[in-house]
Amino acid sequence: MSDLIAVEHVGKQYRTSSGPVEALHDVSLAVGAGEFCTVIGPSGCGKSTLLGMLAGLVAADSGRVLVDGRPVTAPDPRRVATVFQDAGLFPWRTALENVEFGLELQGVPRERRRAVATELLGPLGLREFASKYPRELSGGMRQRVAIGRALAIDTQIVLMDEPFGALDEQTRLLMGEWLLDIWRRTRKTVVFVTHSLHEALALSTRVVVMTARPGRIKSVLELPMPYPRTMESPEMAGLRARLWDEIRDESRRAMGER
Amino acid sequence: MRVLALRAAILTAFLLAWEGAARAANPLLYVPPSAALPALGRLLALESYPDLVPSLLLTLREIVIAYGLAIAAGLGCGAALGLNRVIGRAYAPIVGALYAVPAVVWYPSLMLFFGLDAASKIAFGFLLGFFPITLAVLAGIRQVNPHMLAVARAFGARPLTIFVKVMVPAMMFTLVGGLRTGLALSVIGVIVGEILGSKSGMGSLINHAYGLFRTADYVALVLVTLTLVVGSDAVASLVERRAQRWSE
Repeated sequence: MSDLIAVEHVGKQYRTSSGPVEALHDVSLAVGAGEFCTVIGPSGCGKSTLLGMLAGLVAADSGRVLVDGRPVTAPDPRRVATVFQDAGLFPWRTALENVEFGLELQGVPRERRRAVATELLGPLGLREFASKYPRELSGGMRQRVAIGRALAIDTQIVLMDEPFGALDEQTRLLMGEWLLDIWRRTRKTVVFVTHSLHEALALSTRVVVMTARPGRIKSVLELPMPYPRTMESPEMAGLRARLWDEIRDESRRAMGER
Repeated sequence: MRVLALRAAILTAFLLAWEGAARAANPLLYVPPSAALPALGRLLALESYPDLVPSLLLTLREIVIAYGLAIAAGLGCGAALGLNRVIGRAYAPIVGALYAVPAVVWYPSLMLFFGLDAASKIAFGFLLGFFPITLAVLAGIRQVNPHMLAVARAFGARPLTIFVKVMVPAMMFTLVGGLRTGLALSVIGVIVGEILGSKSGMGSLINHAYGLFRTADYVALVLVTLTLVVGSDAVASLVERRAQRWSE
């Protein structure tokens, strides 16, 4: 049991008005400490459901999810922090107060949590924006605040559900580089959901490809190359082609379904 | 500045038109400002109605009690309707339908239940203020972004914490709007109640002056009552603007 995260034969169905929909089917996955594991797949393949299970927000119908050897039944902010696709900041709180949110819930004294949050704003590139409200920040800044909020509670595991999905491409590339830097310094375990081949290849130690609905694990790609990676190298170009091959059929199927 | 000047201009124009029209027609019926102002002076000097101050205080007290009860009941019922899916589905449509009924139709019953004294006025003010507050709480809870609730849960927030730290601030704007409407309606309820039937309070004085055809005194009393209403609404609007800066 050396894996930090273990997903064992997990299944999930949703009831909809047009009958039950199987979101996940017999998914098993193990993530070791310090890994950057990316889950990639077509829209509606259950990636977010899987992440929700790791976060303790969604219950599995069958199978189980273990973190640190213990079954996940509810959110556990001492072990797992989550960054959502839509930043989900609280509009009545400043950037700094948003970063403090998790610490506040854990009862950390005001001065202590202010100090932790203020220190985080530097590497987040938000030092001058501490007292700004979310509506005054750009999309990329908002997402960095959301990441800051997750990093502030200093958990071993950080889950990220398409954190850069709503950003434009340039911002997205820069945010990827920035996240890589943070991850390499903190050595946290990251589970990252994305649609982007580029993000998957540039950031991950491992890429998990999921099938169209019902979501199953189609293949796993190990990426032992050092960082930062040159995406133009023949090796990376080859991997990209291979990964696209894997995803392409699934995306086609997902598209045909609509 | 320009807004103030425009306001002053329309007020002056209105007063002049009133003066001219009232003199041309019937000064007793239409009470021009030149008659209303001296009457107001006599009223404030406690000459025409020596019991002005106790009447004003009684009306104020009725308003405060009616509004306080409306807030307490409105917050409680609104929260129950908004937070519990079953209760909400069962009762929210009924509350909405009752709000649409012209509340004056209940007033005779209230007088029968609570008598001619303060209690029936408080009950009527409460009834009018209760609905907008309840419905604002309900609407506020329903418009809280469920995504924010998921975020709070992911960070380990329990239901009570979620309510205090997420739901209340998220619905603050709607809530304060409802509280403001509730205040205005509670004030209306109390004063209308007094006019429709009572032995004391501002409404009763208004009724008295009107009944004796003391039209100038009547207008003066209405002006004092208006000040009360406008004053309470000004305080409410100040609070509302504060809340507006908070949310969104």
